Amino acid sequence: MSQEDTSDRLFNPTEEHAMLRQTVADFVRREVEPQAAAQDEKAVLNQPLFRKLAELGLLGITIPEEHGGAGMDAVAAVIVHEELSKSDPGFALAYLSHAMLFVNNFYHCSNDEQRARYLPKVLDGEWIAGMGMTEPGAGTDVLSMATTATRDGDHWVLNGTKTYITNGCEGHCFLVYAKVDGRITAFVVDRECPGFSTSNHIDKLGMRGSTMAELIFEGCRIPAANLLGEVGGGLAHMMRNLEIERLTLAAMSCGIAARCVDIMVRYANERKTFGQPINRYGQIQRYIGDGYAMTQAARALTYNVARDVRADRRARIGSDAAKLFAAPVGKQVADWAMQVMGGAGYCREYPVERLWRDAKLLEIGGGTLEAHQKNLTKDLTKQLGS
Amino acid sequence: MKILVPVKRVADPDNANKMKVTADGSAVTSEGLAWKVNPFDEYAVEAALRLNEKGGSGDVLGETVVISLGDDEVIQTLRQPLAMGVDRAILVKASDGEIDSTVVAKALAAVVEKEQPDLVLMGKQAVDGDSNTAGQMLAEHLGWPMATFAMSIEVADDGKALVVGREVDTGVLTLKVTLPAVVTVDLRIVAPAAVKNGVTPDDHAYNEGARYASLKGIMKAKKKPVDQTSLSDLGVEASPLVEYTKYELPPARSGSATFVESVDELVEKLRTEAKVL
Repeated sequence: MSQEDTSDRLFNPTEEHAMLRQTVADFVRREVEPQAAAQDEKAVLNQPLFRKLAELGLLGITIPEEHGGAGMDAVAAVIVHEELSKSDPGFALAYLSHAMLFVNNFYHCSNDEQRARYLPKVLDGEWIAGMGMTEPGAGTDVLSMATTATRDGDHWVLNGTKTYITNGCEGHCFLVYAKVDGRITAFVVDRECPGFSTSNHIDKLGMRGSTMAELIFEGCRIPAANLLGEVGGGLAHMMRNLEIERLTLAAMSCGIAARCVDIMVRYANERKTFGQPINRYGQIQRYIGDGYAMTQAARALTYNVARDVRADRRARIGSDAAKLFAAPVGKQVADWAMQVMGGAGYCREYPVERLWRDAKLLEIGGGTLEAHQKNLTKDLTKQLGS
Repeated sequence: MKILVPVKRVADPDNANKMKVTADGSAVTSEGLAWKVNPFDEYAVEAALRLNEKGGSGDVLGETVVISLGDDEVIQTLRQPLAMGVDRAILVKASDGEIDSTVVAKALAAVVEKEQPDLVLMGKQAVDGDSNTAGQMLAEHLGWPMATFAMSIEVADDGKALVVGREVDTGVLTLKVTLPAVVTVDLRIVAPAAVKNGVTPDDHAYNEGARYASLKGIMKAKKKPVDQTSLSDLGVEASPLVEYTKYELPPARSGSATFVESVDELVEKLRTEAKVL
């Protein structure tokens, strides 16, 4: 435990949380940071490094120990995403897609037979996984999805296209939402299933340490045993898992912001203009001071909400609020860090321009800012009771 | 074999520049710094775990125990090696003012008498005081063979001895020490092939550096025993020989540098300008 203020209890509520943060921070310093710029340049997932996350036991962080996971809570998931995102948000996004969108979601909607088939492979990193929700014609308006599933003997036949799917290029299996007679239902689909394919890599602005592709289902036949939960039960799984997804995406923005504050504090102390360090100038002090305060506010909200995010209760208001607040903070603080660094901040030699590009995604993925505003208005109004 | 690994808690060495000295020079303050396991001791933990496992199989060949001296807070520091895979920990309760290398060595010797390990494996020094004395004094108290600055360890003679590569100024000095022994390690002991126990397959690839505490290890660490004892329980008098009279920070670097064209010019300047030759 660090010799820190008691407010540290919010960010590291137990000794295990503090040790988890320490382990991930060590891993990030030794192995993630050194590869981040090159992966961004190449725009591919570092798969050997990803498998090391399995060695650390991070791929099943929220899964009970008896099922091969670590049995930790949403706060622990937030810690991992925050620390990874201080160096490589793109890599963190691949982790989120695997550990939160697939593993966590799958665990809560699968039966014992399905868990026995999939969990060992996805927990030890042999298989990389992802999740398919968004479609070319259905983003925020997710309920209008057009992918369908129909029963044919002991198979389900899927037709449709999912897009912007992280880990789409490398993934071995995906949790996919499709409509059965108009009702949203969850399935697990393997790459080997006949009629399944993925598009070319969709090149993108940031988060380039992870890949993105379309999942294409053309009469895709999957075993009947790959139905997750009940027909029509997909919406409940989706809504439950969106909470930890949004929470951990918020944590990624916190990590980006915290790193950018660190960068600007150091740079402004070293860089001199007109004979003195630039941190003597009020213009710079505003970026540092406001950037730090906003970062801590985003962290405080995110970690506070994390205490309420659990599989057995709903925390939609909190998780929407955390991501709505944290995502623009990540973008803003990255922008200020670049402003403090001037020309150097704009150059590839330093990590700020990469973090700046990565930060934007958090205002779009896992729910746009507008989707969070819509949800919050709806949920808060509902609380009035009418 | 049974291995005892003494570890010391130090203020985060990655932020050593945040260390401050009180205005009157009477103490060093490390406020705002996290406590970490002394890096050389962490390397000793890694080396001990490598000696005591069949790498890659999960099989454990012997007991590994960590020990530290300090107050209750040190238990948190001991969780780190426990999470890395060490079996149990011992805390000798003492306050910082009561201990120096001599007291530490006496306390460790008393614990060794009780625990009867085959090997005491420790860092060559702690990165705070940089004394580099506790291991040597411990070996003297025990009357055991000693190998310091180990950069490689190989189990020999059916586990009755160790062949230790010692990093010295002129190269690597290879010693064979009969067990039980005290070995202190240097940083290269965590190179991928630095430790050979005769059981782990030669092609097993260890990562460079000390292993991370895995999440499973972290969850297990809380349940592992931490036995507590005290200096008086061990019959050791808390009477440090070293007295610290004053602390001061090293002078700030001037930041100026002179570049020279040749070695001859460098030697000349070192002789005439710097006057250090």
